Amino acid sequence: MSVDTPTHPLEQEPAVAAHFFVRGKLVTDATVRHQSRDLGVDFTTPDIDLDQLIQPRSELPPLLDVKVDDIIDFLVETGECLALDRNPYMQEALERVVETNPLPRRVVENLYRGASFLLERSMLTSMVASNFANPAALDGWVSRTDIHGNSGSVRAFPPRMVHMLAGNSPAGCVSSIAQGALVKAINLFKMPSSDPFTTVAVLRTMADIDPDHPVVRSMSAIYWRGGDETIERTLYRPQYFDKIAAWGGGPAIDNVIRYLGPGLQLVSFDPKTSISMLGKESFADAATIDAVAEHTAEDATLFNQEACLASRFVYAEGDRKGIEQYCAKLAERLAVDRETASAIAPPVPPEMREEIEMLQMVGGEYKVWGTFDGAGMVVLSDERVSFHPTGKTVNVVHVDSLDDAVPFVNLATQTIGMYPYARKEVLRDRLACAGAQRVVRLGSAAKHVLGGPHDAMYSLQRFVHWMSDEDV
Amino acid sequence: MSTPMKTGSALARLTDMVDAKDRYDVPPADLLNTQLEAANDLFQDRLARIPLLKNRAEEGHVTSVRSREDLVPLLFAHTAYKSYPEGWLSDKKWDRLGRWLGTISTNEVKDVDLEGVTNIDDWLGRLEKVGHFLCCSSGTSGKSAMMNSSQADLAWNRKEAMNSFAWGSGSEIGDKRKLFGLGPSATAPRNNAIRDALIEGFTDPGVEPFLYPVPPITVGQITGMVALRKAMADGTARPAEMAEFEATSAARETMMDRAITLSAEALVADRKQKMLLSGMYANLYKIAVAVRELGYAGSDFHNENTIYIGGGLKGASLPDNYQDYIAETFNLTPERTFQMYGMQEINSAMPRCSAKRYHVPAWLMLLILDESGENILPASDGEVEGRAAFFDLSLEGRWNGVISGDKIVADYNPCACGNHSPSIRDNIGRYSDLPGGDKITCSGTTDAYVRGIS
Repeated sequence: MSVDTPTHPLEQEPAVAAHFFVRGKLVTDATVRHQSRDLGVDFTTPDIDLDQLIQPRSELPPLLDVKVDDIIDFLVETGECLALDRNPYMQEALERVVETNPLPRRVVENLYRGASFLLERSMLTSMVASNFANPAALDGWVSRTDIHGNSGSVRAFPPRMVHMLAGNSPAGCVSSIAQGALVKAINLFKMPSSDPFTTVAVLRTMADIDPDHPVVRSMSAIYWRGGDETIERTLYRPQYFDKIAAWGGGPAIDNVIRYLGPGLQLVSFDPKTSISMLGKESFADAATIDAVAEHTAEDATLFNQEACLASRFVYAEGDRKGIEQYCAKLAERLAVDRETASAIAPPVPPEMREEIEMLQMVGGEYKVWGTFDGAGMVVLSDERVSFHPTGKTVNVVHVDSLDDAVPFVNLATQTIGMYPYARKEVLRDRLACAGAQRVVRLGSAAKHVLGGPHDAMYSLQRFVHWMSDEDV
Repeated sequence: MSTPMKTGSALARLTDMVDAKDRYDVPPADLLNTQLEAANDLFQDRLARIPLLKNRAEEGHVTSVRSREDLVPLLFAHTAYKSYPEGWLSDKKWDRLGRWLGTISTNEVKDVDLEGVTNIDDWLGRLEKVGHFLCCSSGTSGKSAMMNSSQADLAWNRKEAMNSFAWGSGSEIGDKRKLFGLGPSATAPRNNAIRDALIEGFTDPGVEPFLYPVPPITVGQITGMVALRKAMADGTARPAEMAEFEATSAARETMMDRAITLSAEALVADRKQKMLLSGMYANLYKIAVAVRELGYAGSDFHNENTIYIGGGLKGASLPDNYQDYIAETFNLTPERTFQMYGMQEINSAMPRCSAKRYHVPAWLMLLILDESGENILPASDGEVEGRAAFFDLSLEGRWNGVISGDKIVADYNPCACGNHSPSIRDNIGRYSDLPGGDKITCSGTTDAYVRGIS
């Protein structure tokens, strides 16, 4: 099954050039022409040399004997060098990403500027500390003795990994690079068609610091059309890789699943939706309504609502009158220009627009605020709408009590922003039971406690190959 | 003759052409002014009656229809007929569904008796009692579209189906054939009207038609699948419910297999009779194989047999020569093979001619738009490729203008067959089948977690 855009032989200029990075070396030929999925922009890449991508299992991983602390030092230095104003690779990537990615330039810029935060020492050390009971197992064999006095050692041995990167957040690759480096993996990054640039720019930055660094030699980043059997049937084999870390869902995952089997496992960062829950206290007075509306807007507009963190449904308990006041305010606040959102996002897609128009005409329990031009919309209803709100659209669902909102939480629910904050403690067990992964204070969906789990798992310990040496 | 009720004279002149010999033979330029006049009459009448049309007109600043361009902002996307929230169906919110239907219907949806309605089939029955005949598309994975027809639409369907079949199949109204229904049907008022037209127009009243030995699929059965899918996504579907659904599907599968054999046997038994076959390619192919396995083909069958082929392949994969194989099995010649291009959203068919092109009748306006569906493509001397949109002047129960999901190649110049109407090449595709999946993003819905049931 082919599920991406077609690949054409190179015929015409100009097209945006995407480079490859293969085990530490930059490859710049423009041999194959592709089309980006979202915007249909042509870009060129080199040919894929499959043999170069695979390091034989007879060779030890380049990072095996490099201490985690040294890897962290290198990542931190990389982070410092990513500063957009000084880094020509990131500057060049920015120019190209804005051609292929639907995110507005300013949002991509802000994401790039925030990228070094993902490589800060405190971030990296807390990731290692929270993922491994004994981080020393990353650097060597750690001995332990069981209750019968039998002893042995274990090691978190470096895996061979494919990272299927998501296209909706161009800086996401920085986290994946950090994860791959921290577990000392041999890494292959499959770049998305909406951003076949950023990963290579980050890796080139690393190579400028030290071209022979084992981290650099452990990294490859290439593009192929997702679902291209000539590549995937060849590469996705347990002889070559242990783990596929995949962001996203739908056809992209359906494709990968065909190749899984003993020895080749999927660690999936699934597609998620985020929501908000508002207790009746939210509508106590005008000042609270304003503040709650602003906090909701902060959460709902993240990356123009393209992110999994971005809230789409707000479950609100209380009087209809206060909720309507809140909806009006929220529509105003959605239209505001922010660091991670533009005042005018891409307009509401036609099918969604049809449903909203219809609800407006049907009236009654349904009421609509805002405009279809991408400034943001609020749809108030007494039950969840059936479309998936995008383009800064929020469905406010009026419920008698937040208890009635719990059934709408499911395994695709990532972040739940809550107000008043104390309700988190009351509801969190039931939310977890329903499948949710994270409950936060309203307005802080994008803020994190360092080293926390992602998608309800500590992924680094799932990446590594736990090898055991036993003396019994 | 069932002329739509608002009879501007232009409209009547065009719809009266349903009986005219040259209904597929008038050059589009000769019709345009009359068509626009009729379209404007319909627009003025429907503006106050169809709420969505009012929205479209206000937004597009259209107050009258003077040109083809004026029609474009007024067209409904085909998806408008499924803009209801899925939950209303699974939660049995008939009242809200009725309000929704009212926003896209010509006639007010009122006085519907909802007492004791337990499923959608009941609801559709109650709507019919007050003059709303809904055709529901059979999307098995997604939502069904629901399109409202009036009694006059159904009478038109019957008349139009009879005439277009006669034109495209070389048959004469009054032929004495035996009808073989060779595929499962869905119960829909329009399908029934077309079937009745074929029986009335072309079969021997003394000969009982062969109706496919599988009970027609009801809308309730189709939407039941959709509701179950939603329940699976919500996590409220019980494992036993899913197992039961799988068992029902398996039973239906067995019945379908049996129907192939029964049909083949019936065809062989009646092979000397002059037949009118009706079905879709995928099923017809299976039956042809079964007939050949029984040892019959070609001249074993009557040499004036004719066939009504509905729809395309619908995703079935058949050998390259499937059309010839079916034709050779049942002794069918190309001029007696009726194929047409049409869709549930419009009331009229475009029958295929001897040059294998689909012809647009006089009362149907073909508009070729760009892929976005927002702009009409400029006139051209030759063929034009784009998104098909139609303004079907014969429609009464709902708005006449619709943008389809189809990618077509059409020509406004005379066809090689000699007819002068616009014609469409036999390579119709769907925009939704074009490549462009594989969008990887970390945001999404439970849909990604829902494994279908077979």
